[in-house]
This record gives sequence, C-alpha cells and structure tokens, in this order.
Amino acid sequence: MDQRDADTRAASRRLLATSERELQRIVLDMHDGPVQDIFAALSQLQVLERALAADAAAEQRVRQAMRLLERALGEIRNFIGAFRPPGFERRALGEIIEGLAVQHETLTDQAVEFELPPDLGDCALPTKIAIYRILQEGLANGHRHSGAARQRVTVERRGQAIALTVSDDGRGFDPQRVLASEEDVGVEGGHFGLRGIQDRVSMLGGTFALESAPGRGTSLTVTLPAE
Amino acid sequence: MIHVLLADDHAIVLEGLRALLDGESDITVAAWTTDGTEVVKLVEQHKPDVVVLDLELTSIKGTEVIAALRDRTAPPKVLVLTAYNDGESLRSALDAGADGLALKTESPQQTLTAIRQVHAGQLVFPQAARRWIDGRAGAGAPGELTPREREVWALVANGLTNPQIAERLGLSDNTVKFHVQHLFSKLGVKNRTEAALKYAHGR
Repeated sequence: MDQRDADTRAASRRLLATSERELQRIVLDMHDGPVQDIFAALSQLQVLERALAADAAAEQRVRQAMRLLERALGEIRNFIGAFRPPGFERRALGEIIEGLAVQHETLTDQAVEFELPPDLGDCALPTKIAIYRILQEGLANGHRHSGAARQRVTVERRGQAIALTVSDDGRGFDPQRVLASEEDVGVEGGHFGLRGIQDRVSMLGGTFALESAPGRGTSLTVTLPAE
Repeated sequence: MIHVLLADDHAIVLEGLRALLDGESDITVAAWTTDGTEVVKLVEQHKPDVVVLDLELTSIKGTEVIAALRDRTAPPKVLVLTAYNDGESLRSALDAGADGLALKTESPQQTLTAIRQVHAGQLVFPQAARRWIDGRAGAGAPGELTPREREVWALVANGLTNPQIAERLGLSDNTVKFHVQHLFSKLGVKNRTEAALKYAHGR
C-alpha cells in the first residue's frame, strides 16, 4: 500500500467515527426534546380523555390526537432504534453484536441465531462500527426481503481479520441485478443497502462476498482488519 | 395500594405521569424528583413499592441508582423508563438489576401497566431479552458474567451460603440472592452444586 492509499484509508476511518458521533448528537436531540414532550403530552391527554368520558364527541377528538402523537412517537422510536450508536467505546464486539441481535428480535419478532466464539475479543473502533452497521443492514434486508423465519449470524477471527456472515434460507435474489439497481439510489428509509455495505468494506480495506440466487437463500460475508 | 416514586430529569414528564397515576385508584405517587442523586434518600423516607426511574439521568448514572437501591435490605421494585429500546438499554437495565423496562416512545398507558406488573413480581422485558434472563445465549459462556457475578461464583464454588457471601462482600442478602439467580441463569445451571462443578471444570 503506497502512502496515498494509507492516507485515504486513515481519512476513511476518521470519517466513519465522525459520522457516528454526528448520529449520536442527532439522536440525543430527539431524545431530549420531542420524545419527552410527546410522552408528557400523551400522559396529560390520557387524563383529559377520562375527564371527558361524559362528552362523546370531545372524547373522540382527544383520542384522535392521542393516536396521532402515538404514531409520531412510533416513528421516532424506529429512527432512534436504527441510528443510536451502541456503546462502541464501552462494549466489546461480541456484546455489541448480541445487543443488536436482541434489538432486531424485539423490533421484528424474527429469530436471530448467533454464533460468537468466547475468545472473539475486541477490535479497532472503525471495524467495530462497520461490523455493527453492516450487520444491522444485513438483518434488516433479510427481514424485509427474504421471507425467512430466522436469520443466522456468525462472527469469527480469521488471522488478523474479523469475519462476519449473515445468512438466511429465504427466497434469495439475483445479486447482480440488485447491486446494479442500487447504483444511483440514495439512502432509503435510513438503509444504505448492499452498495453501502460494499462502500464501508472498501473504506476499511476488507472483503465482501454475497451468495444468493432466487429460491436459494442468501449469505453475506465480509472480512475486515481487526486492528 | 401501590406506592410509587418517580425520578426523571424532565419536569414535564414527571408532571404528566403524576397526573396520570393520580387518576388510578390502586396507585399513589409517594414522591418525585428531577434529581437522580435524591432517589436513594427519598426511597428511605417514603419506602415506595415501585421506583420509576429514567435511565438517562444527568446528575448520576441510572444504573448506579439501581445498584444502590438493590443493596437495601428491602429494595423497591425498579421500573426503568427510557426512550431507547435497543440492546444497549435492555442490557444495562438487566445488568443493573431492574425489574422491568417501559418506553417513553410508547403510550404512557404501557408504563401504567408495567408499574402494576413489576409490583406483582413480574420481570417486564421484551421477549427477545429473555436470552439474557434465561441465560440461553450465555449458557456455559462465563465471558458474559459481570465482575460481581464472578466474585459471587467463586464464593458459591467454595461452598459459602448467601448470607456468608453477603457478609464477605458487604452486600445485602437480597442483592446476593439476585446475583446468584443471574449467575445461575447465565451459566445455565440449576443449583449451587452445578455452579461449583462448572467452576471446577475450568470456568
């Protein structure tokens, strides 16, 4: 690797960490502002709803307002769930993966089997962030498109690298077609797609392999330098 | 009657919850505070059945407050109230020893229900977090134990009883009981003998 490549890679690593810090700030703002306000407003409206039990029309309007606020809260919940960075600096890689799997199960009711060797250890921050975001995307993709009842996650050390595999036995797809259609597509609903996964991997100098075919399930494997 | 103490940095949330809880015939708000460092003192004064605690306090870590409450001889039930339903929050609340978790991004009605559930002795966590409670994922993987649980495990393996462990570590019997329960579920063992065997077999 020549000096310019090394500089680019170092800059990429800084950029990844910076974007996580930005996300954390946005999530905190949502948390400290709208979440508290809407939750408090809903509490008050619930009191009002009871007080208005004798006035059906007024009660109906209050209920309607509550439904709207609950919907807004639900959207914030999804946003925060997708973007809040876990304790990257405090938690080891295995804990972060486990936390994400549990979060995914909570949100989707879809089972996630995972295999984490007890001696997995930790890795450099940019790799940890990339593994987390790629796994998040892989699980979300599998949930939205595969139709599989369960997904499988394996993380292991391969020499100086960390290897992550997300797989399912769902309906599968044609990778070339999907990758081509994502070429010019931006972020959809907070998801950065397969293209985004590839970008993250190449920023860190890792490898990306996707095996899928219609009716044959999907298996995504990335390896990233541990340090 | 369920006596509740509310602790949340946000005064508007406290005001809303108080209004809501006051309308319930089986619940009474014994005290409330926006200062997390006051919680332990207020619990001593009011002896509530349930403490509803924001996990994201600014003055002190919510998990530290829970740990302090757990060390009391008759700890109240603790319901964590948080905006975050991610693995991180669940794990923190469980590790600290909370009895349940309610979300600020869901209807306050859910918080009401959760208060009654933890008061009735239920653990109120999403189904997916059961793997941490049952110890399925952590079964046989002691890497998941907290430092305190490791200490307790060593003492259990040496044949100490809960009161003896409590004395040795300067904790309450209840806290030790709690750690032992968590330890057993994480190790996937049913009793002290199995825990000791596992300890003897290379941890």
